[in-house]
Amino acid sequence: MAAQMATTKVPEVRDITRIERIGAHSHIRGLGLDDALEPRQVSQGMVGQLASRRAAGLILEMIKDGHIAGRAVLIAGQPGTGKTAIAMGIAQSLGPDTPFTALAGSEIFSLEMSKTEALSQAFRKAIGVRIKEETEIIEGEVVEIQIDRPATGTGAKVGKLTLKTTEMETIYDLGSKMIESLSKERVQAGDVITIDKATGKITKLGRSFTRARDYDAMGAQTQFVQCPEGELQKRKEVVHTVSLHEIDVINSRTQGFLALFSGDTGEIKSEVREQINAKVSEWREEGKAEIIPGVLFIDEVHMLDIECFSFLNRALESDLSPVLIMATNRGITRIRGTNYQSPHGIPIDMLDRLLIIATSPYTEKETRQILKIRCEEEDVELSEEAHTVLTRIGLETSLRYAIQLISTAGLVCRKRRGTEVQVEDIKRVYSLFLDESRSSTYMKEYQDSFLFNETQGTQMETS
Amino acid sequence: MEEESQRILKYLTEVELAAEDVLSDKQQIVDLDIKRNRNREALNALRDDSPQSEDKVKVCFGSMFIKLPKATTKQMIQKDQAQLDKEISDLRKRLKAKVNHLNDLQGKPELRGYSLSPLSSDEMKAINSILKR
Repeated sequence: MAAQMATTKVPEVRDITRIERIGAHSHIRGLGLDDALEPRQVSQGMVGQLASRRAAGLILEMIKDGHIAGRAVLIAGQPGTGKTAIAMGIAQSLGPDTPFTALAGSEIFSLEMSKTEALSQAFRKAIGVRIKEETEIIEGEVVEIQIDRPATGTGAKVGKLTLKTTEMETIYDLGSKMIESLSKERVQAGDVITIDKATGKITKLGRSFTRARDYDAMGAQTQFVQCPEGELQKRKEVVHTVSLHEIDVINSRTQGFLALFSGDTGEIKSEVREQINAKVSEWREEGKAEIIPGVLFIDEVHMLDIECFSFLNRALESDLSPVLIMATNRGITRIRGTNYQSPHGIPIDMLDRLLIIATSPYTEKETRQILKIRCEEEDVELSEEAHTVLTRIGLETSLRYAIQLISTAGLVCRKRRGTEVQVEDIKRVYSLFLDESRSSTYMKEYQDSFLFNETQGTQMETS
Repeated sequence: MEEESQRILKYLTEVELAAEDVLSDKQQIVDLDIKRNRNREALNALRDDSPQSEDKVKVCFGSMFIKLPKATTKQMIQKDQAQLDKEISDLRKRLKAKVNHLNDLQGKPELRGYSLSPLSSDEMKAINSILKR
């Protein structure tokens, strides 16, 4: 029954790769700086914010050189001035080898994990450990396999395996164990194989090109490779980068290896972390590992409370600590969990450790540029007038609102079979969707007819 | 102008020299490996110790065959083999420095993690469970 269920379920799997959504910062490719770290006006999806981008570029250089591990950066500015964009730009320019972890300030409030646990996991995800694996392998193309079966039918089989590279050829005597694994892998003449010297494991890499015409009909999975070059007995070195958190997880005993699959790792004991730290620093001293301090980005950092900040203060001082980049759009506000007011909702002692980068509102020209980039990203064509109107909307309401209108206007335009978004389309979506200020005027007018309107007069609790 | 071209020529010679050095080392490793494999084959051939086999074998030295006792021959080859292993690993070690030097001359970035010493097989086993996902 169960097997039947499984077979009937198969057709339900739908191809979802086509439904790909476009993220708000998908157009960011880097910080848009030249070699002298001077920001270009429009580059790699970044527009304007020259001073803050230059500052971010300096920090980026320092991260790359490993200079500012254990320090913190705060990006502060009004909503919609490109704080997250700058952080994304830093992430993109760091390249794939430097770990970058991003989380939103509110993400750490979970029932399954304490706040500090969530934070320390994020911290350890942002630290990479580079290690090297070295194996002795025999790599070659099989010329011939010869297996002698004993005449009596029982007893050990013996055989010979001839391997070659472009430079040399040699014969190996085979024991019964090797013969077994060769036949299990279905190795035949013309295959390119590797044999791990330490374990005797045989891996089939594919068929040699020179033997490509042996058969006419072959499965699609048959892969053709070149006959290997050089010596037969090679040394293979592979460099891996893993994060400290990943090492923590496999060593967290209560979870075991299952934790890797469920994705939910739960809390990791501090003893485990200490053991890992000790092991990693031992490796580092023996020259077996390199620590790569990565970047931890906390968006909406004002959502953290006083406990988190005191944890961060201490965590930044540990020698295994990544670069912390935080972003906030708050001015002087209450620190969460206290009654004290502080700039950006961050305690003064924490602020003291930060390098602060400020972002400023975009000018008209820059807004126009950003809208143009977003149009390209969302595949919407905009007429010149519509672009001007949209820029005005962006300046008078907010950049986010204007960006929202791009795709909606694009849809309206497609509905009327137009190829280019005109001013009418923009007007139509502008009347359909309210921006923030129109929405609040509407609220003020009609609040009497809404439900639960008695809360009138009290301010929204934001911190 | 003359000075400029001289400088470029000098630089190119330097790069070519370094590259040649790397290539010749690589070729030497291949040659040594050929020898090592031939020795291995010889050792396999000598392993046959059935009673009817002779206790002396003909060994080829240059253009001459000399009859030598099996045990001595075996010992000789084994010694040669150990020597070869050592030479190859020495060459590989030196090759690394040379490749780094060549990359440096060509202005390529240094390979990451190139100079690390490898993890032991036990440690690798633990790490492998992370990597195989």
